Amino acid sequence: MKSAYYPLGTFVVFVLGWYAISILFEVPAYLLPRPEAVIERLGQDFGYLMRHAWVTTYETLGGFLLSVLIGVPLAFIIVSSSIVEKAIMPWLVLSQTFPKVALAPLIVVWFGLGIVPKILVTFLVAFFPVVISTVVGLRSMENEMLELARSMKASRFQIFWRFRLPLALPSLFSGLKVSVAFSVVGAVIAEWVGATEGLGYLLLTANANLDTALLFAVLAILTVLGIVLYYAVEMFEQRLIPWHASVRLKEVPAL
Amino acid sequence: MKSIIALEDVSKRFGPFTALESISLDVAEGEFVSIVGTSGCGKSTLLRLVAGLMPTSGGSIRIADREVTGPTDDVGIAFQTPVLLPWRNVRQNIELPLEVRKLDVGRHQAELTRMIDLVGLRGFEDRHPYQLSGGMQQRVALCRALIHDPSLVLMDEPFGALDAMTREQMNLEIQRIWMETKKTIVLITHSIIEAVFLADRIVVMQSRPGRIASVIDVKLPRPRSFTDIATPEFQDACNQVRLLMNATGFTE
Ligand SMILES: Nc1ncnc2c1ncn2[C@@H]1O[C@H](COP(=O)(O)OP(=O)(O)OP(=O)(O)O)[C@@H](O)[C@H]1O
Ligand SMILES: [Mg+2]
Repeated sequence: MKSAYYPLGTFVVFVLGWYAISILFEVPAYLLPRPEAVIERLGQDFGYLMRHAWVTTYETLGGFLLSVLIGVPLAFIIVSSSIVEKAIMPWLVLSQTFPKVALAPLIVVWFGLGIVPKILVTFLVAFFPVVISTVVGLRSMENEMLELARSMKASRFQIFWRFRLPLALPSLFSGLKVSVAFSVVGAVIAEWVGATEGLGYLLLTANANLDTALLFAVLAILTVLGIVLYYAVEMFEQRLIPWHASVRLKEVPAL
Repeated sequence: MKSIIALEDVSKRFGPFTALESISLDVAEGEFVSIVGTSGCGKSTLLRLVAGLMPTSGGSIRIADREVTGPTDDVGIAFQTPVLLPWRNVRQNIELPLEVRKLDVGRHQAELTRMIDLVGLRGFEDRHPYQLSGGMQQRVALCRALIHDPSLVLMDEPFGALDAMTREQMNLEIQRIWMETKKTIVLITHSIIEAVFLADRIVVMQSRPGRIASVIDVKLPRPRSFTDIATPEFQDACNQVRLLMNATGFTE
C-alpha cells in the first residue's frame, strides 16, 4: 500500500497549488472555484451527480465492451488473412486521423437521441487501440516458439489457442487499458451532442451557466470514473497474466 | 546397421547465401552422433532440416526410410534456446508435447516425476520459467524433448548454459538414457570433450559454405566416465577433433 503515498502526495501538492493560485491571484470563483466549494457541491448534489455519472458509466462500459467484442475478433481476422489486412488496415489507420466528434451529429441523425448513438461514438473512439494491440500481440510470437509448436505437430488451431493467444495477452491488455481510458472520453464527447443526461451533458450546462463549481465537480467524478475503470482492467490483467513482466516487475528501479 | 537418418547431397540456401552444401550423412539406428563446428557453420540449420522445420534447397533427407516433408512424429527436439511457455510452470511445460500430441498426460506422470528428479529440478515443479536460471530452463527443455519417449532425439547445444559440474552430470545422464533406451541421438555441441565423451561418431563441420569436413569414429568403451578423460585414448580422440577444427580455420 506504500505505493499509494506517492500519488496521494502529488494530489496534496496539486490541491495546495490550487489554493495558492485562487488566494494569491484572487481569482474570482466563476473562473476558479476554491477546492472546498467543489467538495461542498459534490456533497450537496451527490444524488443528482451520481444519477448522471451512472448514465456516463454505462455508456462508457457499453462502448468499451463493444470495442472488445468487435476489436478482438477483427484483429483475429486481420492476422489470419493478409487479404483482409491489406483491404481494411489502411482504412482503419486513416479513420484514426478523422475527428470522431465530427461524426457525432451524423450518428444522432441516424440513430436518434437514445443510448445507441452514445455507445457508438464511444466505440468509435475506443476500439482502435484494441485492434492494434491485439494484432501486435498476435504477431509477437518468435520464430523459435513457432518451430517448437510445429515440431510437436501442433495444428493451426492448437498453435492459435495454446501459443499465439496467450502470448498476445500482455499486448492486448495494454490496448484495453488505453481503450478504457478513451471510452470515458468517448462517452463525454457523445453526450455533447443530443443528450439530456450524463456527465458530458452536465459539463455543457455547467459551462453555459458559468457554474464552475459544478464543472469541477463533474471533472472530479470523471477522473474517479477513469481511474476505477483503468484499475479494474489492470486487476483483471493481474489475474490473467501474472507471469508477464509488466505485472511481475511492478517494482523495478527507474531507468 | 539400419540407418534411421539418411542425408544425401543436402544443401540449404537463404536467398543468395549458401548455408549448407553437399551434406551427405547416414546415422544408424541407436547411434550417438555429435556435430561440432565453428559458430555460424550451419549446425542449427542442419538440425532444422532434419527436424522438417524448413525445406531443403536440394538433396534428400529421409528418416526411417520416409522422405522428410515436415516434422516427424517419433522425434524430440531440444532447441538452442529453451523457448519455454512463460505462463506454464515447469511441470506444465514438460507436459506440453503430450497435450499437443493428444497423448495421455496421466499415464506419463511417473515418467515425468522421474525425469524431473533426474535433471535435478525436484522442488521446482511449480515454478514458472522466469523463476528459473538459464541452466534450469535448458534442463526443462531437455525433459520436454524426451517426455514422449521419441526414438530419435535432436539436441542443439542443450548444455550451453550449465556449469561444468552440472554439465558432466547431464552428460552422464544422457549417456545412461541412451544406453538404456537405445534411442538415436544427434547432439550439437561446442565442447570437444562433450562430443568425444558422448558420441560414437563426431561430425566436424566447416563453414562458408557449411559442409562436413570429416567424420571421426570414437571407439572408446562404454559406459564412459569422466575419470577416463585423462586416458591417452580419450586425449587422442580430442586432439584428433581439435586438429581437424584447426585445419578448418577454427581454434577454440
Ligand atoms: N532463417 C535464416 N535466414 C537467413 N540466414 C540464416 C537463417 N538461419 C540461419 N542463417 C544463416 O545460416 C548460417 C548458419 O546458421 P546456423 O544457425 O545454422 O549456425 P550454427 O552453426 O548453429 O551457429 P551457432 O554455433 O552459433 O549456433 C549463418 O550464417 C546464419 O546467418
Ligand atoms: Mg546454432
